[in-house]
Amino acid sequence: MTRFLARRLLLALIVVFLVTVVTFVILHLLPGGPARGVLGVKATQAQIDAFNASQGFDQPIPVQYWDYLVRLLHGDLGASYTENTDVSTLLAQRLPKTLLLTVTSTLLGIVVALPLGVWQATRRGRAFDVVTTGLAFVLYATPVFFLSLVLIILFAQVLPIFPAQAAQGDTLAALLSQPASLVLPVLAGTGVTAVAYSRYMRSSTVDNLAEDYVRTARAKGTPERTILWRHVWPNSLTSVVSMIGYSVPVVFSGSLVVETMFNYPGVGLLFWNAARNADFPVLLGVVLVIAVTTVLGSLLADVVQLLIDPRVRVPGAKS
Amino acid sequence: MRRKLGRLAAVLGCLSLGSLVLTACAGGQVRHGVGGPNTVSFALPPSATPNWILPLPIPGYTASYNGVIQSALFVPLYAYDGSSGEVGMDQRASAAEPPVYAPDGKSVTITLKPLTWSDGMPMTTKDVQFWLDMVRAAKDDWGAYSKGLMPDNVTGFHIVDDHTFTLTMDKTYNPGWFTANQLTLITPLPQHAWAKDPDPRKAFDYLVGQAKQLGAYNTNPLWKVVNGPFALDSFSSSQITLAKNPRYTGPDAAHLDKVTFLTFTSSAAEYNVLLAGGVDYGYVPTTNLGQKGKLESLGYRVEPWNGWSITYIPYNFNNPALGKAFEQLYLRQAIQHAVDQKAISQVIWRGTATPGYGPVPQNNDPTFLSDVQKNNPYPFDLNASKKLLADHGWRPGPDGVQECQDANACGVAKGTRLSMTLLTESGSDETDGTMQELKSELSKAGIELRINAQPLNTVLANGTTCEPSSPACAWQLSYFGTQGSWYFPAYPSGEQLFATDAGVNFGNYRDKPTDDLITASTLSTSSQSMVDYSARLAEQLPVIWMPNPPYQVSAIDSALGGVTQDPMAGLQIQRWYRTR
Repeated sequence: MTRFLARRLLLALIVVFLVTVVTFVILHLLPGGPARGVLGVKATQAQIDAFNASQGFDQPIPVQYWDYLVRLLHGDLGASYTENTDVSTLLAQRLPKTLLLTVTSTLLGIVVALPLGVWQATRRGRAFDVVTTGLAFVLYATPVFFLSLVLIILFAQVLPIFPAQAAQGDTLAALLSQPASLVLPVLAGTGVTAVAYSRYMRSSTVDNLAEDYVRTARAKGTPERTILWRHVWPNSLTSVVSMIGYSVPVVFSGSLVVETMFNYPGVGLLFWNAARNADFPVLLGVVLVIAVTTVLGSLLADVVQLLIDPRVRVPGAKS
Repeated sequence: MRRKLGRLAAVLGCLSLGSLVLTACAGGQVRHGVGGPNTVSFALPPSATPNWILPLPIPGYTASYNGVIQSALFVPLYAYDGSSGEVGMDQRASAAEPPVYAPDGKSVTITLKPLTWSDGMPMTTKDVQFWLDMVRAAKDDWGAYSKGLMPDNVTGFHIVDDHTFTLTMDKTYNPGWFTANQLTLITPLPQHAWAKDPDPRKAFDYLVGQAKQLGAYNTNPLWKVVNGPFALDSFSSSQITLAKNPRYTGPDAAHLDKVTFLTFTSSAAEYNVLLAGGVDYGYVPTTNLGQKGKLESLGYRVEPWNGWSITYIPYNFNNPALGKAFEQLYLRQAIQHAVDQKAISQVIWRGTATPGYGPVPQNNDPTFLSDVQKNNPYPFDLNASKKLLADHGWRPGPDGVQECQDANACGVAKGTRLSMTLLTESGSDETDGTMQELKSELSKAGIELRINAQPLNTVLANGTTCEPSSPACAWQLSYFGTQGSWYFPAYPSGEQLFATDAGVNFGNYRDKPTDDLITASTLSTSSQSMVDYSARLAEQLPVIWMPNPPYQVSAIDSALGGVTQDPMAGLQIQRWYRTR
């Protein structure tokens, strides 16, 4: 177990390092650089040169990357060109809000999806399964921006029940001060995750229900409820747990769209504005956070799978 | 088992419904805007986040929305307004009485109004001197600096008394130009509270350092000392609220208690909030203009807000391949004849853009608009375009692209093809449509246009001034005018745009008569030089003149009065009031 974790952690570090290299190089190879965009059309050449020198853009890219890496190792993510604030401060302000959105959406998605998937699997081919599967496919095929738009039109414009945008402010408390403003963004995020997870859970449960061990249990006279919850449920969960861990980048990209649609002041909005303004330090900071979260998510998924699935722990066992 | 799952589903359903109802009760909204009854919410442009409170901007922090907030807190020496249809001094919003120029025009005497800082201290001439000393000491780091202009052109500052001072200039300037484009840059600053160091350079650096700390705007005592009709109430990256300054002593006091500036991720997000009634004063994306009736039924009035601006596509006269061709006036005329400005304005911009035919804003104050520019010397006419090319030795090649057959007539080498690349900004349906229309019409005249759409920053970074031998001179045409290419200060002269070697003369246009007219417009007391400048550049076509998009199409709560949509992007929020 320890060796496994050490190996996975080492691999995670390498992945994060490679992500920083690729992102840094791609950004810094963009033609023109950010100076003109940041300083505006009226900036003089002297001012542009001064900006480039202050940011180290007049140095070769390997030197720039080395400087970046050294600063990174000292915990310095740089400062935003446009927001006048350290990237670490911006992330500290925005990340809790995005986590609130993504974690709440994911948890709600799981709460809805897992029982729904099991329920569909146990009624495979019946009216309930056919109807919910059809609805799930419709929702699965709906882009998150469209779902957000439908929610806004229905619940903010036609029926003015909820605000069309999230509460504004730099702190999580400001966001939580108007819980109604969180409903639509969370619903949009939940819709996307719940459908995906429910499909996985249904497939996984259907597969397990057809396994030999279920037939054996039934032959032994084990009650159906015991078979479902004691044997099929844990076995079905393993693949879904992995999926939740691996879906961190999908959840983040989904939150970017949701944040944009609902004017939600999280990391997605920060990333969007940084991309529009060629704000390299912020872009690098956000990509780093997403990379680390993704790697941690997959690592966590592996560990949880290791804990809940004995087959993974036994060398040579069928997994 | 099934019964239990059914029960679980029922419980989940009830919980969801219950939470929906509870949260709805907790925070539904039906009226426009956010906040109390005597407050107004204003939507900032997409992705615009105010980031500079100090009315002394450094490069990169000169956005108009920063200026709006600054001028509500700190009264500028002189403010201008063009909402009446004529650009003129807004005396109520100015910190000084109108300037008095000496007969020789080389000095100007200014008397300050009896304004008071919010800490009780009077505004004095020392506050103006403080501004000037800092700008002189740190001019290269000041965002509005242009070599030879403010502060280089002010050679002396003489204090007459606490409220009167005299500026001496290096030469005689056109008073209209000097007041509108130079004195408007000055904002008296609270020297008694802000001069933390007697060295003006250090004082400047200190204030810039403080202004960079956005997180401290709410608590920093520096920003509590204001003399404008508003004071800062709260500042965050997503929402800025200004509150009425109870200690304001000038003639332009605020009517509203608070004004909130809201930031938005995108115009779509803003529009959704607008339809839900979450904004008092917002904007309508052009693509949604078909829903004007719906907005009006929701209690908004929809009005385009025209900018004091022009929009154009610069030619790169230093481009090694086509620079020589661009120098030929007949070619520029042929290209201009192929631009169907009316169609672009009416169809693509849905009637909100205005055709532009020269260097002076076409649809606002006509003081400087020549008859030549007004009457469009090169109307859309593809036959005229083709004839100009044919008369000058160009013949369509096998692929339909014009090719020079006679070097003497063409003015360029034989075999040169009229195939050019336009570097244009991406991300706007209207700009995409405009470029496709341009490409289509030019192709009918035998001119091939290849469109290279890039993010705005890339266009600005690449389509800039260059030497012919430099690889950076590969660009041929560039467009960065989705929201207008250039917004003028009060006096729409061209010293920064079309003068030889001017900072924003990206295409390296050179024309001695134009230079002379620009110089005359800044020095002569007559406005005729500006009119002549308008006529010359309408005829000479230093750029491709394009339709000028509006600053925005506004949706304003019909219960909000006192709103004037100033073409110079000023808001004068102190004059807004609620009618119900």
